[in-house]
Amino acid sequence: MEGHLIYLDNASTTFPKPAEVLTCMLETYQRLGVSPNRGGYDLAVEAGDLVEETRRKLACFFGAPDPDRVIFAANATDALNLAIQGIVGPGNHVVATRLEHNSVLRPLYHLKKEIGIDFDLVPFDKHGFIDPDGIGRAIRPHTKLVVVCHASNVLGTVQPASDVARICADRGVPLLLDVAQSAGLVPIDMTAWGVSAIAFTGHKALMGPSGIGGLVLLPGLQIRPTRFGGTGINSVSVFQDQNYPHRLEAGTLNLLGVVGLSAGLDYLDKTGMGQTLEREIDLLERLYQGLRAIDRVMVYPVAPRQQHTPVLMCNIDGIRSEDVGAILDADFGISVRAGLHCAPLVHQDLGTSPLGGVRFSLGPYNTAEEIDKVLEAMARISRNQ
Amino acid sequence: MQVRVIGGRKLFFDREGFLNDFEQWSEELFDLLANECGLLVIGEVHWRVIRFLREFYAVNGRVPLNRQLREGTGMSLLELEKLFPEGIRQGARRLAGLPNPKGCL
Repeated sequence: MEGHLIYLDNASTTFPKPAEVLTCMLETYQRLGVSPNRGGYDLAVEAGDLVEETRRKLACFFGAPDPDRVIFAANATDALNLAIQGIVGPGNHVVATRLEHNSVLRPLYHLKKEIGIDFDLVPFDKHGFIDPDGIGRAIRPHTKLVVVCHASNVLGTVQPASDVARICADRGVPLLLDVAQSAGLVPIDMTAWGVSAIAFTGHKALMGPSGIGGLVLLPGLQIRPTRFGGTGINSVSVFQDQNYPHRLEAGTLNLLGVVGLSAGLDYLDKTGMGQTLEREIDLLERLYQGLRAIDRVMVYPVAPRQQHTPVLMCNIDGIRSEDVGAILDADFGISVRAGLHCAPLVHQDLGTSPLGGVRFSLGPYNTAEEIDKVLEAMARISRNQ
Repeated sequence: MQVRVIGGRKLFFDREGFLNDFEQWSEELFDLLANECGLLVIGEVHWRVIRFLREFYAVNGRVPLNRQLREGTGMSLLELEKLFPEGIRQGARRLAGLPNPKGCL
């Protein structure tokens, strides 16, 4: 292997994190690493202020009016579980899509088995998009929730969330949008779109560390608590506080994660989210055109300019995706994610199950030179040289 | 789970054909599995890969990292992939009797 590492697994997690994020985390935690809002001493109050300030930043970032309805969780999966299990009950129906990650599919299949919920999974078209009217057609009288992944972690396609939200609002069903892959890349305005809830993670395009994510709710949507414990307020009561965010947050918060997430938001504010996406899509276009020109390489399935995050999946005919990933890693110093990407139904529908594909996901530090090296590597693998 | 009787011994394989017990591997089993997947001419270069994989696993209790596999065999993974009809994981690693990777596939 020659040269430096080319990291193209940013859809799993962005790497490396910005130096200012890491520095901020270390300095703040050294100064204020106490239990936020537990106790009245100054450090605890100051740490609590940091948490509340981060809620305000997140509410503003996602176009939500009430910072108290920003609930911290461990990641998007955790937040999705909080929402799904706190909204859906026995006999209820859910609409989701075949683009979903296991973070949605597994809770749904679990609830189907354990408490008898039912659900429909709306298919995507040959370009990787959901038809919002298909969501509308799947809604039934007892549908309690619609869950849609905003951007596919396999295909990179960004779904028409505002159109889906309008249909859900017309039918009186809340829309939970999984923004794990889009937050930090695509502007999200919950109020303007009418999206009832979003589940996000901090460690992808929001540029924070792993272990922090959350749920943001518009006013009106109620979620039952499914875990219980200390909140730092009203300790005399043995029952969970019913006000948000404490209704859904139990136990000491991940302060280090909150600080990193806050610093990640500052970083995005400084670098300009739109410009970053534009640049990454330019590189993705270069990758897409280059891959299409290589013999035996199949790219799935859409031109990246159309509503896309910087994610592209491909295969080389005759070589297993996991082996392509291993060769890229060991021989060329290129890190990619091969396999099924925890989204088994997408691969079923693409015809790439069970072996999956090779996913390239770009980040803010990738360059045109790196993309050219990837194309050279893929051409060599394709030629078996 | 598949059960096969090979050389008078009952051997267990998972659904992808990976041997359940690393200790039950034998050269006779390797020859048979290699033949089944179309590897008809087995040379010293194949044995270098198989020996490295088995020795590494026996010592470390895990499969080698990609770069360790490259360093340990002295060949690129692209060369190694070509050596075995079913590639690196399903070919070399499976024929060496190493466990099926638990990673998400």
